[in-house]
Amino acid sequence: MLVVIGILIKILVVVGITQGAVAYMILLERKVAAYSQDRIGPNRCGSNLVLPGGFRLNLPFGLLQPIADGAKMILKEDVIPSYVEKPLYILAPAISIIAAMIGFAVIPFGPVGTQAPSGVNFQIAPGVDIGIVYVFAIGSLAVYGVILGGWASNNKYSFLGGLRSSAQLISYEIPLGMSILGMVLLAGSLDLNTIVNYQDGHGLWLTRWLGLPAWGVFVQPIGCLLFIISAFAETNRLPFDLPEAEQELVGGYHTEYSAMKFGMFFLGEYLHVITVSYLTVILFFGGWDAPFLNQIQSDWFSGLLKALVLLVKVGLMVFFMMWVRWTIPRFRYDQLMDLAWKALIPIALVNLVATAAIVELLRSSH
Amino acid sequence: MLEKRDLILAIAVIVLGATGTYLMLPHRHGSAKPRRVHLIGAVLAGLALLLFATFWRAPASAISSLFFYAFSLAAVAGGLLTITSRNPIHSALWFASVVLSTSGLFLLAGAQFLAAGTVIVYAGAIIVTFLFVIMLAQMEGRAPYDRAARAPGRATFSCFLLFWALFYALLIVRVAPHPKGVAIDTDNERLVRSGEIASSYGLKADHPARLISELARRDTLRMDDISKRPKPHVAGLGEALYTEHLISVELAGTLLFVALIGALAIATPKLPIRPGDPRPQPLTKL
Repeated sequence: MLVVIGILIKILVVVGITQGAVAYMILLERKVAAYSQDRIGPNRCGSNLVLPGGFRLNLPFGLLQPIADGAKMILKEDVIPSYVEKPLYILAPAISIIAAMIGFAVIPFGPVGTQAPSGVNFQIAPGVDIGIVYVFAIGSLAVYGVILGGWASNNKYSFLGGLRSSAQLISYEIPLGMSILGMVLLAGSLDLNTIVNYQDGHGLWLTRWLGLPAWGVFVQPIGCLLFIISAFAETNRLPFDLPEAEQELVGGYHTEYSAMKFGMFFLGEYLHVITVSYLTVILFFGGWDAPFLNQIQSDWFSGLLKALVLLVKVGLMVFFMMWVRWTIPRFRYDQLMDLAWKALIPIALVNLVATAAIVELLRSSH
Repeated sequence: MLEKRDLILAIAVIVLGATGTYLMLPHRHGSAKPRRVHLIGAVLAGLALLLFATFWRAPASAISSLFFYAFSLAAVAGGLLTITSRNPIHSALWFASVVLSTSGLFLLAGAQFLAAGTVIVYAGAIIVTFLFVIMLAQMEGRAPYDRAARAPGRATFSCFLLFWALFYALLIVRVAPHPKGVAIDTDNERLVRSGEIASSYGLKADHPARLISELARRDTLRMDDISKRPKPHVAGLGEALYTEHLISVELAGTLLFVALIGALAIATPKLPIRPGDPRPQPLTKL
């Protein structure tokens, strides 16, 4: 019983924090966009705030903007056009957000198992052997939200967005899945926590000789690059945001959605960004690993510190994704497909075979 | 041996299920069936489903058995709705729900990798491709042949004949249920029970069929590595696939490869069928 309550609390905390984080990610996105374009961005909400009791509050950077945005989403009129296929039209945003949320179940937010401080695990479902495969299984369901939203809207722009998206997501799942196999081979497990522990360890002779940690980005540089590129495509972020390309498709698959239904698509997309950033950091940037942290420390202080280190790395990754948005223009559709099928997948295959050969050679030389 | 009560229940499942399915199937000829007929069909099929559920044996713990019944009922009901929906898109989506429920059952049986793999391959890729094709093929309204079942009577009859054969075969080898209170709770015990199917035929110990069933019963989840520690899930599965089932794996791979070549052969443009048609330009680059 206590375990169940503990898990429920953990789920609530994770859901709450991620939803809050999404709200502030939207502010961050707007700020990054503004600075990239030499503007200021939202800066009014929260400045010159008069609280009851006569207190005056002056928050910088428009820090209360997310609350205003959220209130707007909830209070707007929820329009359901008469020509939509109603059950699927309502189902689509729900699928989108559920698929984005339940992927978090196996992601470690800090140290797990024997390395965690006693009585606490920074993971909702510890001990899932197939960790990363589960995340991919959930991620592969996210496409339903987009494709159904596009189809049920009964609108050609939405429909085109949904079609583009389904082709794009299926194509990029292949390099995404193959790019991590190198790390899985090296660490010898699909469990995310074991992969983090591997990166904390010694690594290959080359990284040891160079004095680098055994992070995925150093032992699997090609895999890391492939993963990041495919992850951008999986999250529909620029330069791969063809499903919603505003200039061509009005808004793509969510053209016909309004109010909170639109907000749910939005929320799902940003949650996906968080999941992908966590995965990138855990697989390729050492997870909680830092020069002064190792697996043996298992007290409360270092546990929290590890979670914090992980969080900072994830924040940097999220910032990187927003930065790229204003750096690289959108691909054309044929270029997108060529990139996946003619470049990424062959490279991923070669990388996989080479890694397997090296791992086997090193293992037999021991 | 089969009890009379079981036999009557099984026949009731088959008859009710077949009638209900037949009534729910969309027919091609004549006008659309009245709503009432659909409703009666749904009630009969639902009744058959509930009767069928009395034959199932859920895992011991309360939460597991709750999930077991939920997933199983969802899987069978989803299968029924897959074939009886008039809209192909809805059929594809119901099929997706069947796949998801089935992988839920895999998870309950402890097969994590199989569950995730099924979701990725079927729900994530194949059904999405189905949806893609259906949506592209139906730009101008839905064709009547897509909205109707072909020969619903014969289809129902043959499917339920097959279902009866499977059902009966499983019923007669089913061993007596455990006495109340003694529950099957460990995976090992469940595996042993599935092995009893083979032994109840009284095969000799060195009979090939018996040997194969013994091999199949071996627990791949808990293979030991060199230092006698249990291997992770996927390692055991991989070892079993690439040692005992190597030929099957290779055959499946070959089949997929042949299909790939076939798809390429079909996709390349062909010579004109009638004289005078413009010759298609050969592909300069692929």
